[in-house]
Amino acid sequence: MVVHYWFYGYDSLMEFIAAGIAMAIAYEAMKGYALVKQRILLYLNLSFILLGAGLLVAGFSDGVIIFAKFHRAFLFLYTIGYTINFFAQLIAYGILVIVYVQQTRSFGTQSIAMAALPIMLVQRNSITEMILVFLLVYISAQTAINYSVSKGTNTLLVFSAFLCLMFAHVLFLLYTLVPILFPFAQIAQLFGFLLLLAMLFRVNQAI
Amino acid sequence: MIEPGVGTKPATTKYRSQFRIYVDIMRVIQREGNETKPTRILYGANLSHDRLVKYLEELKALGVIQESIDEDKTYSLTQKGIEFLNDFRKVESFAGAFGFKL
Repeated sequence: MVVHYWFYGYDSLMEFIAAGIAMAIAYEAMKGYALVKQRILLYLNLSFILLGAGLLVAGFSDGVIIFAKFHRAFLFLYTIGYTINFFAQLIAYGILVIVYVQQTRSFGTQSIAMAALPIMLVQRNSITEMILVFLLVYISAQTAINYSVSKGTNTLLVFSAFLCLMFAHVLFLLYTLVPILFPFAQIAQLFGFLLLLAMLFRVNQAI
Repeated sequence: MIEPGVGTKPATTKYRSQFRIYVDIMRVIQREGNETKPTRILYGANLSHDRLVKYLEELKALGVIQESIDEDKTYSLTQKGIEFLNDFRKVESFAGAFGFKL
């Protein structure tokens, strides 16, 4: 693992901003669920709450990594933070994949339980990132189909957002080989969430 | 929330939920200038007479539409109904952005 001292703090800040946006989307989905009582909005809410919580934890754990050279306990904290963020993202994107699969064919909602995976400590590595990339490829493809059908600006924003998130995780995947890619991965991730925020603004302004 | 037939019929059969029918009725009223006769709602929302009467009564009880009887019986949206439709439009747009139909 390489510590980017010049980038220290910015990665945490970006993750906090992304977490705030994810929570705002979760809140919008919850408001929608309160109004129309459609379970699909509840799943969307759950998915973005998990993404937001994971990013929040990642923001804190990335903040302590600089102290790892003083005491190994900080490295352990960082690993715990990454583990929580990884499983939060895994379940969040897993829920979205299941919801999209459900839309195209009848699929038992109990399959969500599949997301309950045994938790173990993981470090950022090519396997964990590859799993997230795999899930995001499916979600990006599904949102691309949605855009090709509706041709709406909001669907384009959501598609672009997931494409950015997928790209971010491709960069996180390559970061294990090319450390300089880490800041670009963080920027791509933040940009993805900013696109979702733009969609949220458009939805709330359109009457 | 009643969702008739979900998961029990072939995917090609599309049912409207009770909620969706409420929204369709309210949208017909709004489209017609917020005052319309039951026959316009019947055709606009694609409902049988019996079901229309049932749903109009339910919507009146919810306080989102009101009935006025002058020369003809007409229906209009209440302030609560207008606000509900505005909120619903936002939720529909939000869910639609992710490709979800309500």
